[in-house]
Amino acid sequence: MLSVIVILLLGGCIWLGYEVHRLQRENLVLRAGTGESEDALKKMQASQAQVIQTTKLASLGQMVAGVAHEINTPLGFVKSNVEVVGDLLDDYRALVQQYDVAVQYCLQPVDLIFSADKVSLEKLVKHVEEARRKLFEARAAVEKSPLLTDAKELLGDASEGLSQLSTLVLNLKGFSRVDRDGMDTMDLNEGVESALMIAQHQMRDRVKVVKHLQPLPKVKCMASQINQVFLNLITNAAQAIDGDGTLTIDSRADANNVEISFSDTGCGIPDDVLPKIFDPFFTTKPVGEGTGLGLSIVHKIVKSHGGSIKVRTTPKKGTTFTVILPVIGQTASAAIPAAAAA
Amino acid sequence: MSQNLRILMIDDESRILRALKALLREHTTFQTTNPLEAVKLAKQHDVDVVICDQRMPEKTGIEVLRDIKDAHPRAMRVLLTGYSDLKAVLGSVNESEVYRFLSKPWNNTELRALIEDAGKISREAPVIERDALPTVEHDRARSQVGVLVIEDDVTVQQRLREILQPYYKVNFANSAERALLLMEQHETGVVISETEAGRSDLTALLKALKIHHPHIATVVITERANAATAIELINEGQVYRMLIKPVRMGTCRLSVDSAIGRYWQLKQNPSAARRFMAAPATVEGQNSPLRLPAQILNRIRSLPGRLMSVAARTH
Repeated sequence: MLSVIVILLLGGCIWLGYEVHRLQRENLVLRAGTGESEDALKKMQASQAQVIQTTKLASLGQMVAGVAHEINTPLGFVKSNVEVVGDLLDDYRALVQQYDVAVQYCLQPVDLIFSADKVSLEKLVKHVEEARRKLFEARAAVEKSPLLTDAKELLGDASEGLSQLSTLVLNLKGFSRVDRDGMDTMDLNEGVESALMIAQHQMRDRVKVVKHLQPLPKVKCMASQINQVFLNLITNAAQAIDGDGTLTIDSRADANNVEISFSDTGCGIPDDVLPKIFDPFFTTKPVGEGTGLGLSIVHKIVKSHGGSIKVRTTPKKGTTFTVILPVIGQTASAAIPAAAAA
Repeated sequence: MSQNLRILMIDDESRILRALKALLREHTTFQTTNPLEAVKLAKQHDVDVVICDQRMPEKTGIEVLRDIKDAHPRAMRVLLTGYSDLKAVLGSVNESEVYRFLSKPWNNTELRALIEDAGKISREAPVIERDALPTVEHDRARSQVGVLVIEDDVTVQQRLREILQPYYKVNFANSAERALLLMEQHETGVVISETEAGRSDLTALLKALKIHHPHIATVVITERANAATAIELINEGQVYRMLIKPVRMGTCRLSVDSAIGRYWQLKQNPSAARRFMAAPATVEGQNSPLRLPAQILNRIRSLPGRLMSVAARTH
């Protein structure tokens, strides 16, 4: 009997030991499992951040391409003019030297003046005539020098070009707001202008831009994010227009809201596509051309600012996107941190 | 000092026009900010060279230069642009047949030298009014002149064979080496080529070919179009046409037909080939023809020139 109990107890102990071991193992597996899902979550967050980073880079690339074009034209004439004026100065120095030679010729001592013989007198007359002619020609050449006629204009253009370039840099700074962090008060019309400048190379020769921008109260927002919204909507509009067309931008305000609308005369959005346009990763562009994140980020940014976005579209006629933002903005924490530096 | 040229300049930024006028002050310049006036001005003043911007509100530079090519073909055409997108580059080859594709900001010394060269060529070299030949002559040209395809993709080769074989004397090469061999054996008027074969670059070969045999018309067919390579092929390779894969039958036939016409006319009028002279090669740049092995360069140089004047002398 005792031995039976001992055996049972022993068996129980062995079973218990086994059970404890099993539980420990399962616990380990479970822990590994949580580890795995934590890893997966981290990976997903990382890849999402990467995608956002990619769209940021894409808009950066677009910005660089656009700005390169805007910069190269003024840079072209400023650089050329400065060099040409340098050349003109060299030419002018040569003319002044010739003038100097003529003056020297005039200043040659004429000691024949008191000897009255005819030959000397003729020589003298000739010398004076020659001196006059040389001086006259040298002087005329100096006066006609392009340095005096053109250089001022060329330098004026160069200086104008330099202010165009500074405006560009200011606009770029305004667009990216590299000098500001977080929430700021902003005139949305300025945001529209700087986004337009960056998108300009996509429209220049085919899309006409019509602006009806009314004075707006300042809005508290993350300026760099709002600019990204504008750039995205302008770029979409330009891409929706195949060939020539018009982009009309209206801005207006009432007591509570500021509204900015972007209307294109493009292809419009088909009914079956419309409900999906704000979905992340939804795109109608060929693989590799769009991330499908543009409008979803636009939507996220506007929402985080306590605003809303409206779409009205007629296939083959065009689309209007309207961004509505409250005049009294949300708090800083509302904005999307991930896209903050975009 | 070089001779006084008549130069037409078109740009929607008037400051660019003033800058160019001052730079080219030793020549007579005409300028407009309105591209719609360009053709009229080019003819009216019988200009030697046209310098045109690409992006303008009323009309693109490609269109302006294309119209000037038709209305006043004697003028040498130069595109001067601030931003080179691929569409503009392809258009400047296929539609406007520009002499050079230049970027803003430019180098004053180089631009002046280039324009003076172009002006000299415009005055001295005869003009080929149009490349297309009358039917009888075209048939004669087709039966004599070889078309060489350099392409290592078998599928594309097959496609081109279908398009070209019924109409032209076509040869196929899958490497630069093989291409040279075929050109040594057959009179070749048109070279259709990829920009690379078996991962090795072909653009240096095309450039070197143009330097030594400017009358041969090159048609580049490429998959991966890259604006910078394309610009190089214009300036240093004076490529005749640039087509993007997949190749369409119509475009391809049209390009080869007029390329044969171009070669045929240059063959009879070799001094006109100066108009299609490539820019002198520099050692810089990865795909410079000067980087080709000396043996290849020598073979390119000594390819038989089958021009009429040469033929007349040897007979």
